[in-house]
Amino acid sequence: MIRVEDDGPVRIVTLDRPAKRNALTPGALDELARVFGAGTESSDCRAYLLRGTGRVFCSGFDLDLCRDDGPEQNIMRSFLEGLSRAILAMRSSDRPVVLAAHGAAIAGGCALLGGADVVVADRGAKLGYPVVRLGISPAVSAPFLLESAGAGATRRRLLDPALFDGAEGARIGLVHELVEGREDVGPRAHEIARSLAAKPALAMKATKKWAMEVGGEKKMPGRAGRALEASLSLVSGDEAVERLVGLWKK
Amino acid sequence: MNELATIDIDGPVATLVLNRPEQRNALSIELLDALHEQVDRLADAEGVVVTVITGAGRAFCAGMDLKQVIIDADAGGSGDPQLPRRLLSSLGRLTVKIRALPSVVVAKVNGAAIGGGCGLACVCDAVVTHADAKLGFPEVDLGLCPAVVAPWLVRKIGAGPARAVLLQGGVMRGERAGEIGIADIVCPDRDSLDAATAELVGRYTDSGAAALAATKSLLNDLDRSRDESVVLRGAELSAGVLATEQAQASLIARIK
Repeated sequence: MIRVEDDGPVRIVTLDRPAKRNALTPGALDELARVFGAGTESSDCRAYLLRGTGRVFCSGFDLDLCRDDGPEQNIMRSFLEGLSRAILAMRSSDRPVVLAAHGAAIAGGCALLGGADVVVADRGAKLGYPVVRLGISPAVSAPFLLESAGAGATRRRLLDPALFDGAEGARIGLVHELVEGREDVGPRAHEIARSLAAKPALAMKATKKWAMEVGGEKKMPGRAGRALEASLSLVSGDEAVERLVGLWKK
Repeated sequence: MNELATIDIDGPVATLVLNRPEQRNALSIELLDALHEQVDRLADAEGVVVTVITGAGRAFCAGMDLKQVIIDADAGGSGDPQLPRRLLSSLGRLTVKIRALPSVVVAKVNGAAIGGGCGLACVCDAVVTHADAKLGFPEVDLGLCPAVVAPWLVRKIGAGPARAVLLQGGVMRGERAGEIGIADIVCPDRDSLDAATAELVGRYTDSGAAALAATKSLLNDLDRSRDESVVLRGAELSAGVLATEQAQASLIARIK
């Protein structure tokens, strides 16, 4: 479901599963981690654009895949591990990542925003982390959301399963540029990615690296690891299993 | 039953009420002791998923009890030079305890939340108020230093905005508190506060209790909320400023 193509110096990574609202699979997350972690030395890539086809950017994990998961919840585990790896790979890339969050970025889809350097969304986009309803912790997003939105908004948004709109996302610092319509998001994000790709490569590389370093990125793998642990510790507990099984009974 | 602070537990929801309405729920040492006792009980209460903190009467909490932070007994104070320090460190320890509660804590700011009272709200995981409520940190206007609550305001709204709020002093309406992130949900008027709070509480109680508790615990870990030393240093700083002639004179002028 991940399509990768180069538009000159912009490497476009597309979630391409519109019939399932670009719901993520463990394989897709592995692929994202691979694409962003591959390094750019041997290519002309100067910037990434991450986007989705269809009505929305991404509706989160494809929970249908968990339907036949065993008591160990191995599929849910691979989802959470893959998500954490994909976000860290986006952040550690030496090229800037622009993300087009059009229409909706929910749960694991919203978590991907934590890996991007520049996030564009439409004013009415549906954002949020409604996973506590499933007995799952949105912990994986915590270290990244803390960085962009601060501790107050992070607490508010991770504990409350209610969705919020793109405008609120911009207010708290999760979204960096707002456009009016969902159809405007992709073109604007593409335009930003092109303009970043056209800037002097050495300066861009040094600036991303330094901005990450002064932002405390060295501590991030450790914090992300603790967050992943917190999330994994729940998945085979009674609450999560009961609530996930409840999904299929509806 | 402790009358200054009451707890009512209804299934997964506990309500902790500051119950000193005739003094606008001002934080006296007696009220703080009662709150410590009740929060300790809540820390051990099985099955509580959400704790709502609110004030009896018109105010949420008017802040420190001014009569207990004035030292000169002849001017209406307590006559006990150690009392302000005890009050401030008690408030500091209480804030850390509230933050560490395993349940999700909601401040239902029914009316004025001033100084330490606004600090109590900022400690909570979510703040619900209404447009007409008055919130803020007027400490500097009285010659005081809001050092105990500062770390919580910094966590709530970020260091830059916190500096602007604390140095400007004064109070703001609920609407403004919503704009700058002190309040998370601002209802149009006081009458809609119950319903708005119930809706938020309902979303928490419909969620997985273990998932909420694990997420909250991780957040407390990541933002160093369990660090008591910073609020205790704040209490020392604040007590030092409070003991100065300038601060004492302005407090005495205020109660007259």
